[in-house]
Amino acid sequence: MKKLFIILSLVVGMSYSVSAAEPALLPTRIISLSPATTEILFALGAGDRIIGVTSFCDHPEEAKKKQKIGGLSNPSLEAIVALKPDLVVMTTDGNPQEVDERLRTMGLRTYVWTARKLAELPDGIRGLATAIGASAQGERMAGEIEKSINRTRYKVQSTKKMNVLYIVWPEPLLVAGPGTAIDDAIRLLGHVNVSAKAKTSYPRYSIEELIREAPEVVFIGKGSGMDMQAVSQGILKKLATVPAVRNNKVCYVSDSLYRLGPRVVQGIEELAACIK
Amino acid sequence: MHKVRITLFLLMAAAILVLALIAGPRMINPLAMSATEREILLSIRLPRVAVALLMGMALGASGAILQGVLRNPLADPYILGISSGASLAAALGLLSGFYVFGRSSVPVSAFIGASLVSVLVGAFGWKRGGLWPERLLLAGIGLNFLFSAVLMLLMSLSSDEGLRRAVLWMFGDLSMADWTLIPSASIFIVIGLGIALFRSKALNALILGDEFAYSLGFAVQRERLILFAAMALMTSASVSLGGTIGFIGLLMPHIVRLLLGADSRLLVPASAIAGGAFLCFADLVGRSLMPPLELPSGTVTAVIGAPYFLYLLRKKDVLGV
Repeated sequence: MKKLFIILSLVVGMSYSVSAAEPALLPTRIISLSPATTEILFALGAGDRIIGVTSFCDHPEEAKKKQKIGGLSNPSLEAIVALKPDLVVMTTDGNPQEVDERLRTMGLRTYVWTARKLAELPDGIRGLATAIGASAQGERMAGEIEKSINRTRYKVQSTKKMNVLYIVWPEPLLVAGPGTAIDDAIRLLGHVNVSAKAKTSYPRYSIEELIREAPEVVFIGKGSGMDMQAVSQGILKKLATVPAVRNNKVCYVSDSLYRLGPRVVQGIEELAACIK
Repeated sequence: MHKVRITLFLLMAAAILVLALIAGPRMINPLAMSATEREILLSIRLPRVAVALLMGMALGASGAILQGVLRNPLADPYILGISSGASLAAALGLLSGFYVFGRSSVPVSAFIGASLVSVLVGAFGWKRGGLWPERLLLAGIGLNFLFSAVLMLLMSLSSDEGLRRAVLWMFGDLSMADWTLIPSASIFIVIGLGIALFRSKALNALILGDEFAYSLGFAVQRERLILFAAMALMTSASVSLGGTIGFIGLLMPHIVRLLLGADSRLLVPASAIAGGAFLCFADLVGRSLMPPLELPSGTVTAVIGAPYFLYLLRKKDVLGV
């Protein structure tokens, strides 16, 4: 009788450990804590496995219909746990590390996305794809992005270097500085980001220094829900004597490059089309 | 002695103004300017210095008035909820798509919010046919908590990046200063300052206590209301110019009191001039220290001002309202 009990508990234990290992290989209830990883997961074809996203995840359209678990910097632990996820995908760029630690002490599996630069994106995608058991799709997607980056690099070898400014928000002036995918994209296109010497990623930039740096092309990124043309009237008036504004080289671009995800290729093409 | 000090004080203020124009991330020699430098001086620095001067003046004078009217050395225009009300109004304006005044819509809604809050504080402070200092202060503090909380709530519920960034503006930003708002704001500030100067004798009497002021022949409640309105007008105009800049309203009157004495007839104009010059200086430091980065003026004011205030506090013996 005692023997039987031991065998029984062994069998139960084994079957339990198997069923616990199974979703670890192929998670079916994924929560994504950043807009970029949400986009990547959808692009990897894992959309129907996503059960929760942040209130900032607005791309692709289906992401909006997923259950919201809070913001980027303040996701609700309670809401995450209540959804019983078998994988929580988060990033070092926006999510507090504390959330990762808390989730893991509660026994939840997390995947932390660390890529921040354009060059790190393909391998980032491969890693995430492997974690959700979609390595084939990941390989395909990463390969396409690599191909597109290489193609761009090859094409720009003959272009003239231009001074480029990317405005993230006009008032107070925030620009895309070093360490951003935008800065990477500008350099990939063979041009100079005038704010590259700033020390932070999204510096509050001096307008008078900008007038001296005389950018030849100005990009204004799209802010969600805001009429950027109206909001940027003031800054363009201040920069009226700058070559870009004088020569009408001011382009309003989408938010594709704000998120290191599948749409960066499209974002790079947008920049290239305007500079041309 | 007093005259020498006042002359020195005025000279220093004038020197700061000039310095704020010619210095910056790089020096500009006004006698030999390139076209770019002329552009920078005229369309970037000049309006910026003007806005800093106006805001600093309004805040310094408002603080001096309010500390007297409320008979409280810890009073400043922001503790009454005027700035948080203005920020909330600006945020609500953005959320509801209030864009009637083009790019001046945020400042205009901030001004409306600040004025409404002032009226509200006055209404809560009103009892038995007049304004009472303790009631005003407590009503203001209560409203301040309420508005700050609602603003925080809006910010944490909103996923709109644009709103978050636009409200950044409320935390003291002078970099976008331009001429459009200066005329209307300076009218309000000049009116408020004028009223305060004409009523500075009454302010002196109010500080000594209602009964004393009454015995000197002042209509206590009427004077208090007028001074409160002058303060509200100046503070609202300053919030609409460049958001919330701390320190000046609270501590500039104390610094002036330590340097020049507590007579309101001198304290109010001197706090205005000192506030204006000091904000110009803080803004100069903020834009010159780490170019091409800009440091928000609201932070710089406290970082430079607070140590100086503490030094004065150690050195001097008197501190009265």
